[in-house]
Amino acid sequence: MQQEVVLAMLAKEPSHGYQLRARLGQALGPVGDAMNAGQIYVTLGRLEKAGLVTSERAAGLPDRPDRKVYALTAAGQQRVADWLAEVSWPRPDLAEFHLKLVAAAAARLADPIAIVDAQRRELLRRLRDAQRAAMAEPDRSDAALLLEGIVLRLQADLGWLEACERNWTGRRGQSGATRGES
Amino acid sequence: MGRIVLVCRLAARDLRRRPAQAVLVLLVIAAATATLTLGLALQGVTSQPYQRTRAATAGPDVVVSAFGQNGGSAARLMALARAPGVTGHTGPYPLANPVLRAHGHAVAVQAEGRDPAPAPIDQPKLTQGSWVRPGEVVVERSFADVLGIRAGDRLTLNGRPFRVAGIAVTAALPFYPMESPGQIWLTRADARSFAPSAQSDAPPGQPQPPDFVLNLRLADPAAARAFANAHSTPGLAMLAWQDTRDQDATLVTNSRQDLLIGSWLLGLLAAASVAVLVGGRMADQTRRVGLLKAVGGTPGLVAAVLLAENLFLALIAAAAGLAAGRLAAPLLTSPGAGLVGAPGAPSLTVPAVALVAAAALAVAMIATLVPAIRAARTSTIRALAGAARPPRRRAALIAASARLPVPLLLGLRLAARRPRRALLSAASIAITVTTIVAVLAFRQYAHNAQQGYGMSGLPNPQTTRDSQVLLVITVALVVLAAINAIFITWATVLDARHPSALARALGATPQQVTTGLSATQLLPALPGAIAGIPLAIGLDAAVSTGQALPIPPAWQLLAVVLGTLLVVAGLTAIPARIGARRPVAEILQSELA
Amino acid sequence: MSDTGSASMLRARGLRKEYGREAGLVRAVDGVDLDVAAGETLAVMGPSGCGKSTLLHLLGGLDRPSAGELWLDGRRVDQLTERALARLRRAAIGFVFQAFHLMDELTAAENVELPALLAGCSPRAARRRALGLLERTGLADRAAFLPSALSGGQRQRVAIARALANDPLVVLADEPTGNLDSAATLDVLRLFDSLHAAGQTLVIVTHDPRIAATADRLISMRDGALVDQTRLTGGTTGHLGALAGLEG
Repeated sequence: MQQEVVLAMLAKEPSHGYQLRARLGQALGPVGDAMNAGQIYVTLGRLEKAGLVTSERAAGLPDRPDRKVYALTAAGQQRVADWLAEVSWPRPDLAEFHLKLVAAAAARLADPIAIVDAQRRELLRRLRDAQRAAMAEPDRSDAALLLEGIVLRLQADLGWLEACERNWTGRRGQSGATRGES
Repeated sequence: MGRIVLVCRLAARDLRRRPAQAVLVLLVIAAATATLTLGLALQGVTSQPYQRTRAATAGPDVVVSAFGQNGGSAARLMALARAPGVTGHTGPYPLANPVLRAHGHAVAVQAEGRDPAPAPIDQPKLTQGSWVRPGEVVVERSFADVLGIRAGDRLTLNGRPFRVAGIAVTAALPFYPMESPGQIWLTRADARSFAPSAQSDAPPGQPQPPDFVLNLRLADPAAARAFANAHSTPGLAMLAWQDTRDQDATLVTNSRQDLLIGSWLLGLLAAASVAVLVGGRMADQTRRVGLLKAVGGTPGLVAAVLLAENLFLALIAAAAGLAAGRLAAPLLTSPGAGLVGAPGAPSLTVPAVALVAAAALAVAMIATLVPAIRAARTSTIRALAGAARPPRRRAALIAASARLPVPLLLGLRLAARRPRRALLSAASIAITVTTIVAVLAFRQYAHNAQQGYGMSGLPNPQTTRDSQVLLVITVALVVLAAINAIFITWATVLDARHPSALARALGATPQQVTTGLSATQLLPALPGAIAGIPLAIGLDAAVSTGQALPIPPAWQLLAVVLGTLLVVAGLTAIPARIGARRPVAEILQSELA
Repeated sequence: MSDTGSASMLRARGLRKEYGREAGLVRAVDGVDLDVAAGETLAVMGPSGCGKSTLLHLLGGLDRPSAGELWLDGRRVDQLTERALARLRRAAIGFVFQAFHLMDELTAAENVELPALLAGCSPRAARRRALGLLERTGLADRAAFLPSALSGGQRQRVAIARALANDPLVVLADEPTGNLDSAATLDVLRLFDSLHAAGQTLVIVTHDPRIAATADRLISMRDGALVDQTRLTGGTTGHLGALAGLEG
């Protein structure tokens, strides 16, 4: 769980650990179902060590991470403000698959088209899952928006895979199976 | 200057893209202008020949006929010959009314006794043969034409045989049948032998026919009418030369009136045709208009291009119509056999040419103005998207059509989409039916006139000429109406391509769609056809001077209405069936929603 | 292609559609064999120009095949006359087009009731059915709206309701979401899902993987021929969290 996300969740007001988890769960919907519960507390611990967050034991409650009350420090506030103003975007991850295809073709370990087809089927299955989840969500909920993003990304990836398939089919046709390519 | 060139270039290119349509517009306007030209060409066509005849025969200024007792009539006529203002006279010539039998006809004629020597006033000019001799007669030419008499023929007068010495024309009397009975000349002696007392066919107790005729020349020929009015007394019939001339002209005047009305109707029909054609092209043009506007053309430019095309076509059509009318005019403008010579192709005066050109331009303007303005006003984006005029919605008609069988459902809804075109269609049919009914009414009139004319079953040249003219008008109008109907049906079928294909995709059979398209045309055609009948009656009442035309029998009216509807249905079925053969998918792909 | 025999709602053997002649001959559909079981949702995918739309037109009787045989519900349909095909479309086939093809001057309800009226239903029954279908597609409150007043997704849903008007055996959809944005696509997907749940046989031509992902079976076309068939069974290697960027 990215540190800045947890910091931002605390920006509104100090919260108990379990409240934080609940808020995250609501925002993520089914996407967050499989999230490891403990991750949050690990992150909170790191943040406390870095001086961005303080924790307090609530009176009368046992000393467990989910019952502690966490709050932002001034440094934490500043970090959140800076993060909100950032415009970095999640990194694309295409190079790995691309090199997979090139390597497979060069070393004749596998047929690149078969790899592409298999990947397409997998992505289609994921698309199916994401779509089903999206249809089950009420319109305009936060989770629905997130799911739409997942779906659109997968759509884009599938488009690229179609291009890969066209491209590698063409290469195979041109150079023949016996000759190697660069 | 550059903009004018641009407009011309765009107009020319557009015309070249659609040559067939351009030719059709041309034909339509040319038919209207040709008829108008004919009407104008008839103007004053007899005044010239009459003058020629008058000059050639030394025509009299006043012709006086005397009724009554022998002695008294001659004396009264001589008194007139000495009246102030009279500079010369010939006669009095004896008159008789024998019955002429020739070529199987028997008619009463007016026989005038003449001297073999030429008279200084009113010497009829021979076109065949020679002048009167004892036992030989000269027949007036228009009368001879009707009977089919030529010089050298034999005939009988009151049973006595005579030979036709010659055929002649005169300016003293209006030609047959204006002047009835027909006119022949004999020697004085022969005429007197047919004196009333010697006539065996005179019915007893009837008033005596005129006995003598006197020809007068006046010092002031223009005052002939005044002279006739001043000196008219009971027992004397006075005929001024202007009246003769006008009577001769009525033969042509009626025709001219019919032609002018006919050309008005043709003009309206032409305007309707052009309107439909231009409107039908609008859908095709919309995209071009959008492009023009998107690259900076003003709405004015757009309208100018559209108008330029049609005005150009109108001018050419006017020229073609003028030429056609001028060529065809002699057929109708021969002023009657009773005047000297055929006038040849009547010269078209400058005002006439200008009027025809203006009429053609007006037709084109009227028809193009509305689409041009609308095209100029269409928002550029909509035009580029190729959105033609969206169809109108009539909720009541849509709801009502739901109860009808499928073809009528389709037909009513399709017709309701384009109410203006339906109106044009109804109007065109109404005009066509109006003209056909008018022709039928005229034929009824001619038939009745023939019955009443009696005597010998001779054809009445006036009604013959009138029916010739009406035939010309009807042919032109039917051709125009057919073109118009074809335009409208094609435009309807084209416009309905998408809904028809959709209906077929949703499960309507091709036959239902074809029938529906026919219904689209028939729904406005029916009230139009029915309305044509009272319109014809009203038009005749408003326009005709004198007796109104009779209403044709009911079965004929029914036949006209049904025939028109059948033709309309047939004309729609053809393009509809052709369209129904195309696969649905093809049409839907090309017609984006 | 496994032959599901008598349970097959739609069956094609050797379907072929050619245009042009000699050197200009174009094979839009080149020997396609196909079986669609009752209640199945089949997605046909492929690049543009591969002939999938033409195939759908052939299946729906909107175009005649140059060769091949076609059966609908056990009945041979490729040799029928235009009139019989029209009756067939009226009773057994519902078509959804990419361009919607709604009549601009009719309201949503009037558009939906049109096939019923063409089939000879009484106006009242047709209107009742139309309103029911519009309610099913979630547009009951827009029944009196003209298409120009509806969004793209709403128009397509009206078109789908129209395709259902005569309770067809099979619904054929040609790029139904081609002109729609992603929110409208979701609405249409939901609708297809509910149709599938109700047992409607669907054949959808699309290049949108979103639709393909929800189909029972997915076939791919290229250059007029079928080249692949997939059933998306089984689970995925990841879970949604991973797709969204959440670790572990």
